[in-house]
Amino acid sequence: MDRSLLRITPSGAAGLIFAAASFVFLPMVLGSYWLAIFTSAAIFAMAISGVAFMYARLGMVSLTQVGLMGIGGWVTLRLNYLWDMPFEVNMVLAALATMICGWILALPALRMRGLYLALVTLMAAGGLEILFATYQFPNGGEGFWGVKIGSNAPFRRPALAQTPEAYLRYVIVVATLGFLFIEGQRRLFPGRAWALIRRSEAAAMAAGVNVTLYKTWAFGIAGAIAGASGALLAGSLGLLDDGTFRSSESIMLFALAVVGGARFWLGAVIAAVLFRVLPGLLNTWGVDTDLAFVIFGAGLLHALITAPNGIAGQIFDLVANLRGKKGKTHD
Amino acid sequence: MIDIDAITVRFGGLVALNEVSATLSAPVAGIIGPNGAGKTTLMNVVSGFITAHSGRVMVEGQDFLALAPHRRAQKGLRRSFQKEQIADDLTVLENVLVQTDWSLTGWSAKRAEAMDMLAVVGLADRADKIGGALSGFERRLTDVARCMVGKPHLIMFDEPAGGLSVDETRQLGDLIVQIHTLTGAQTVIIDHDVELISRICAETLVLDFGRRIAFGPTADVLADPRVKAAYLGTEEVAQ
Ligand SMILES: Nc1ncnc2c1ncn2[C@@H]1O[C@H](COP(=O)(O)OP(=O)(O)OP(=O)(O)O)[C@@H](O)[C@H]1O
Ligand SMILES: [Mg+2]
Repeated sequence: MDRSLLRITPSGAAGLIFAAASFVFLPMVLGSYWLAIFTSAAIFAMAISGVAFMYARLGMVSLTQVGLMGIGGWVTLRLNYLWDMPFEVNMVLAALATMICGWILALPALRMRGLYLALVTLMAAGGLEILFATYQFPNGGEGFWGVKIGSNAPFRRPALAQTPEAYLRYVIVVATLGFLFIEGQRRLFPGRAWALIRRSEAAAMAAGVNVTLYKTWAFGIAGAIAGASGALLAGSLGLLDDGTFRSSESIMLFALAVVGGARFWLGAVIAAVLFRVLPGLLNTWGVDTDLAFVIFGAGLLHALITAPNGIAGQIFDLVANLRGKKGKTHD
Repeated sequence: MIDIDAITVRFGGLVALNEVSATLSAPVAGIIGPNGAGKTTLMNVVSGFITAHSGRVMVEGQDFLALAPHRRAQKGLRRSFQKEQIADDLTVLENVLVQTDWSLTGWSAKRAEAMDMLAVVGLADRADKIGGALSGFERRLTDVARCMVGKPHLIMFDEPAGGLSVDETRQLGDLIVQIHTLTGAQTVIIDHDVELISRICAETLVLDFGRRIAFGPTADVLADPRVKAAYLGTEEVAQ
């Protein structure tokens, strides 16, 4: 076993404390409007961790993440109405199915780099958008697509999380496990291979690293994470709407991951707050929620010009400076 | 033993290597030649980054040209690049471990081997230092340690002494001559430093404009008038 696998860094400890505090206090203080918003934000934080990881570790831009969430959500709903398996089983199967979709996406994408890779993933997102709009999400109907007109059949929420408060806690736990899974990968041999691939693909090959395999694996992880978050999204409402999974949402998710700081857990949290909580806040203030886009744009400019590690990078640098540590941040 | 047989490489109209043949069998062999002679190109052919137009390369009796680059590494080929390739966000130890991650040997054995090689290059005390914090020489030594793990058969260094001080070059040379005894691997080294080459290489291949102009025991090769004209001539021009 790798001894450094279980090492707790200051940033990691802060993350675990943050997750624990959110777990305990958020459901206690939030009303039903905010519970729904924070549940959605926690789910998207997990999805964002997948794209952010691909970008931070391999420099790969994936613009399909929300589309992949749609696949996870679709599989979850379909299984829910097909068999009587518990939510957790459906979620794992959805994650695996989406992981395979991530691998399929990797096939053409791995032949491309940079902008071309981004374009291929965007095309996939566009294709998924059309699929979802055409076939909708299963709601208990007959046949393969499982769609019927009228009211939905009942959805089985996780046994552990029957109330909205419990469901938020449930989501926080799953999202934390998702973050820990990615961090664990980063600390073991895949992380070493990715680091060398990012340094230089030639050097990685010369070190015996199967570059295609490890890039495909990264796509698979991001896919599985997206699939699980899609399942959680399905579980929170018991139904899904194709409007949630537009390709523009995938672009937004990636951009916000960069704004937040793709290398850090805090970056994904900031991105998710901007993505879900900010519009909710504007809404309660009676301000047009499109103002959020203006703020996103400003945030993106800020990130591109002054903060290559995003807002989270700046915060961690600030903390490091305050504690009198010099040098750059390590996550 | 590495058997290079009539390797030809073309880049468009440019013939970077023209039917180059040589059988390198000394524990430490050198490849020298003026800038643009084709030295790196030859190394790229052997390690799989460039496909030869024609010719054959056998390493320890295995045909290498059919294998993907990472498969060649898994079969015991190691190479360094003109610019060392150390990942800044991995520790020294992790940078070495990468080389053997693909193998199914036990984790503790691989770790122990990596630590042994770091001790050989003199970095054992800095195994947990992060790549980004290393000096140029430390990065080069990490690269050397990485090349030495995983039971290599053939290690190729492309200008490893580039950018090093006289003292560091001496240390590196001393290290390279030990590689054969420590790992059993044969080493091939490209460098412009003729003093280093003549000190550590028993045999040397000289390339000029993609052609082999001399090959044999290093002292004989360096005394060859054609080598003097081609290699040392441009050396004077360069200075
Ligand atoms: N990928 C490539 N595409 C086109 N031409 C190339 C390529 N690689 C090398 N060349 C050309 O092939 C010739 C040999 O290059 P090579 O890098 O092998 O020289 P070298 O002997 O390593 O020189 P140096 O001492 O400067 O490193 C040069 O003229 C170079 O410009
Ligand atoms: Mg060269």
